[in-house]
Amino acid sequence: MITKVLTGRKIVEGTAEGEALVTRDPISFMGSINPKTGYVIERGHEIEGQCLKGKILVFPSAKGSTGGSYMLYDLVRNGVGPTGIVNAEADSVVVIGAIVADLPMVDRINIAEIETGDHLIIDGERGIVKVIREK
Amino acid sequence: MQLTDEEKRMLDGEYGEVVRKSLKILVALGEIYGAERMLKIKNVHSPGVSYRVAGDAGLNFVKDASREGRFTIPVTLNTIGIDSERWEELEYHFPRCFALKQIELLDAYQKMGAIATYTCAPYLTGNIPAMGEHIAWGESSAVAYVNSVVGARTNREGGPSALAAAVTGRVPEYGFHLEENRKGKYLIRVDMELKTDKDYAVLGYFAGRIAGRDVPVFEGIKWRPTLENLKALSAAIASSGAVALYHIVGVTPEAPTADAVIGKQEPIIFGRKEYREVVEKFTINGDVDFVVIGCPHCSIVEIGKVARLLEGKKVKAEFWVCTARQTKVLADKMGLTEIIEKAGARIICDTCPVLAPTSTKGYKKLLTNSGKLAHYAPGLWNLKTGLLEIEECVDAAIKGYWSGKA
Repeated sequence: MITKVLTGRKIVEGTAEGEALVTRDPISFMGSINPKTGYVIERGHEIEGQCLKGKILVFPSAKGSTGGSYMLYDLVRNGVGPTGIVNAEADSVVVIGAIVADLPMVDRINIAEIETGDHLIIDGERGIVKVIREK
Repeated sequence: MQLTDEEKRMLDGEYGEVVRKSLKILVALGEIYGAERMLKIKNVHSPGVSYRVAGDAGLNFVKDASREGRFTIPVTLNTIGIDSERWEELEYHFPRCFALKQIELLDAYQKMGAIATYTCAPYLTGNIPAMGEHIAWGESSAVAYVNSVVGARTNREGGPSALAAAVTGRVPEYGFHLEENRKGKYLIRVDMELKTDKDYAVLGYFAGRIAGRDVPVFEGIKWRPTLENLKALSAAIASSGAVALYHIVGVTPEAPTADAVIGKQEPIIFGRKEYREVVEKFTINGDVDFVVIGCPHCSIVEIGKVARLLEGKKVKAEFWVCTARQTKVLADKMGLTEIIEKAGARIICDTCPVLAPTSTKGYKKLLTNSGKLAHYAPGLWNLKTGLLEIEECVDAAIKGYWSGKA
């Protein structure tokens, strides 16, 4: 068991706990994700075919459409969204969606330290991500 | 953040619950990005107006706001999910259940005082801010265009923040509102002549992948791009990346010289080789059943070009020319609509394949001259997509087939 504590910046307060889904590719919530199912649909995306539901989504930053704010909100309201978000650098479109959806979110995290399958605990208020890895 | 007395009263609920909540969202954004104060604005272009983007969550959000919330400044609306006047006739593309939800969303925006432009290119239909003006715009392609080509100042606003800006007349002062964040980070030297909208789309796609959220600076463009060229570049650069601002040395207003926007650095080269690498990603051939021009929405010049190419011909593929309704009125008047519809193609207003209710509808292959649509269509519509010149798109639509050779 390895435990790491990564410190970043508070974006949206609240705590979240769950399994990490990590990608090195940027995400556009309008276009990369199906908001009704939570599956990644963008062709050639590193995590194409994966489902966001119940995961803590770890990605560098957003790209693309400004429709992403509502799409993220809708995803969460449809019960197929992530339970928390960790970014290297937050894009305003995702931030706005996370604020409206009350989704705990932290950025300025070195996401190279996190792997898919790690157990994460996010403390949005303190901007902290705890990484627990079974080894 | 330092708030004015009026802004404090907004937060105290003196102007109602919608204003209170809206300012709360803007303050939260401001706190995150270290804004010192709010800026007063007089211009919003709102994204997230298509029901496909807003979903039920967004629809309820806007409906709740519309009960008492009113826009205090002019607000143009982005592209929606239906042709608002032809959806019943084209129900195959715009299912009734979707259309009715879309209309509900539009009614809520209307109630708050929005202007029914329904276009991703509001700068073609009467929303033109001035150089240096602070605004709140969404629609990634329009954000890139208005920051870069016009020199107005906006961050990438999402639907909820655009709504918040519209009811309060405020945005937090951070990001691209500040002079220091408008400088370039990546220098890209264009080593080939760019002639067509497709050429500019390819450059945009290339640059967006490199720049991500930062500001690219193009040098070596010694000729004058057209409005349509810049529209194509803006759309592609904000699809493969999250670029909100770019500079073209000697062309865009903030970059009279390279030194004005970027320090000395080794340029990244964009030439024939890089061009081919992007185009290869979007190369298809064989039977073609769907062709779309007008992402972002066509200008009247582009509609004229399509009409000339289609005159006296008949298309085999489903062919959409997407535009704003105001532009179609002009096309009607000039006889262009008649030529296009006679050829079996359709002028579709208010919407586009990126924001319409997507399903495969049995189509297999899409051709377009838009880097943005080529980027989104494979995931959204499960379609193989080709990026071609406008003349090639029309030629393939007529034959129902693309041989892969011009």
